[in-house]
Amino acid sequence: MNATFTLLEMRRITRDWSGMFFTAVLPAFFYLIFGATVDAKGESIGNGNVAMYVMISMAAYGAVTATTSIGGQAALERQQGWGRQLGLTPLPDSSYIAMKALIAMTVAAVPILLTYALGVATGARGTASAWLLSGLLCLVGSAVFAVYGLLIGTAFRSEAAVGATSGTMVIFAFLGNLFIPLSGVLLTIAKFTPLYGYAALARYPLTEGYLTDGSQDPLWVPVLNVVAWLTVFGLGAVHFVRRGRERQ
Amino acid sequence: MHTTPSPTADSSGEPAIELRDLVKTFQPLRGSTDTVVTAVDGIDLTVGHGEVVAFLGPNGAGKTTTLDMVLGLTEPTSGTARVFGRPPRSAVIGGHVSAVLQTGGLLRDLTMRETVRMIASTYAATAPVDEVIDRAGLAALSGRRVSKCSGGEQQRLRFALALLPDPRLLVLDEPTAGMDVTARHEFWQTMHADASAGRTVLFATHYLEEADAFAHRIVLVAGGRVVADGPTAEIRSRASGRTVTAVVSDDAAAPATAALLRLPGVTDVKRRGERLVVTASDSDAVARLLLGELGGRDLEITTAGLEEAFMALTGRSPGEPSAGSPPDGIPARRGAVPAEVVR
Repeated sequence: MNATFTLLEMRRITRDWSGMFFTAVLPAFFYLIFGATVDAKGESIGNGNVAMYVMISMAAYGAVTATTSIGGQAALERQQGWGRQLGLTPLPDSSYIAMKALIAMTVAAVPILLTYALGVATGARGTASAWLLSGLLCLVGSAVFAVYGLLIGTAFRSEAAVGATSGTMVIFAFLGNLFIPLSGVLLTIAKFTPLYGYAALARYPLTEGYLTDGSQDPLWVPVLNVVAWLTVFGLGAVHFVRRGRERQ
Repeated sequence: MHTTPSPTADSSGEPAIELRDLVKTFQPLRGSTDTVVTAVDGIDLTVGHGEVVAFLGPNGAGKTTTLDMVLGLTEPTSGTARVFGRPPRSAVIGGHVSAVLQTGGLLRDLTMRETVRMIASTYAATAPVDEVIDRAGLAALSGRRVSKCSGGEQQRLRFALALLPDPRLLVLDEPTAGMDVTARHEFWQTMHADASAGRTVLFATHYLEEADAFAHRIVLVAGGRVVADGPTAEIRSRASGRTVTAVVSDDAAAPATAALLRLPGVTDVKRRGERLVVTASDSDAVARLLLGELGGRDLEITTAGLEEAFMALTGRSPGEPSAGSPPDGIPARRGAVPAEVVR
């Protein structure tokens, strides 16, 4: 780990104010609309209430938006020659990845903290362990989507594609049961989409797997979803990174 | 026909660069109809300490791929590359070799100073950041974003980054591609001032005049192979010969042609308008004869360009359509440029 390098990277990324604003503020705004101001916000769910359920979902959405964009940008930077420039220095790939991961996690923590702070202020209630564990799961699980960003960045090699990934995150969020509670066939389909497992896992300390339609996911469902998608993203990224290394 | 100057070695006995039968092939993308591309096709090269060597060749000759293997950015398909007797990556980690790559490769939203600090932080020890920025002439620009700097300024930044570890070997891959004439001139001036003190330099270029002005030794590559290797002056004279032209009156033309063809080293005599065009290795003798007993006047001596050099050395044209058409309107020495007008 290299503190100077990490801090300079961090300063550079946070310099993009508009990007940071939407990453941090949009999920908090969504929480206020869908969570803090709805009538049912005080109704209890598992180890807390509805407001907390919405808060965790929105924090998760914010965190993956952040990590996806950082993963995608990292891929683009490397292809645009920065990877070759770094290849001329003693910096090993592993510490580059570690630093990028640290930065992605730090940026992902911003929407989580902001949304959770708003939650505290606007009536989200839950047990201490539900607060702590759900926050940690939001943060750690968001790393999966840094790999997704990396995959898109290496596969399509364009700023537009990386920009469009934030659009795909909105779709995944709907399909993943983050924005509105799904039921029936849609819910069944949702269980196979990338954000479902991550969001369900982040809410697990609160819901213990119970869904809004009364059914319960056993723990292995979200875990399997996360592992499967991490594998897909990981293998895809490795494939495209290898292909990208061959100069044509 | 290759003369390889015997490279000097330092006390460790290891040359700065040693390439043995280096080969690099690229597999076509799956599903494409391309065949396997052989970018580097068996290059042998030894560069001794303190040598300044130009790696001269047209686009697509395999220059960048070879340099990538010298820098450990690409693994050879077969053969070996050693830098100061060790694997390239280990030489990079030790700070013994550094490079200025072609355009691209900087983060646009960092400032100049932040870029230097960032790269400096990857080394165990470097010269002080401000000193490096000063030396590269970037002090006034240090707070400016890379994206707001000109191509020449960005290249000076890359040069500053390359000098951070004070490398014993500096590799430059077409360092002036895309620069205008003034920026190129300034870049080479900086190079002369800073990289002359015993540093080994290997630079790729497709400008013959850059190789001529800066290198002690030219390694000419085409089609992934070394086609000639020797001291700069020798390669140039062997590459081109010279073209001598003079105005000769019509009735004197035929006997003059016959007389010229009898001179040793004259390979070709043509009539072009009112001029006789003579291709020869010994331009002095031709000039003397033309101006003297043949009564020629208005004499010009020119040296051939890179394309002619390839033709002369390899018996074929550089081949690729890109050859000889450098980017951004910088004229390469195509055709003849007057070198000197005799007496």
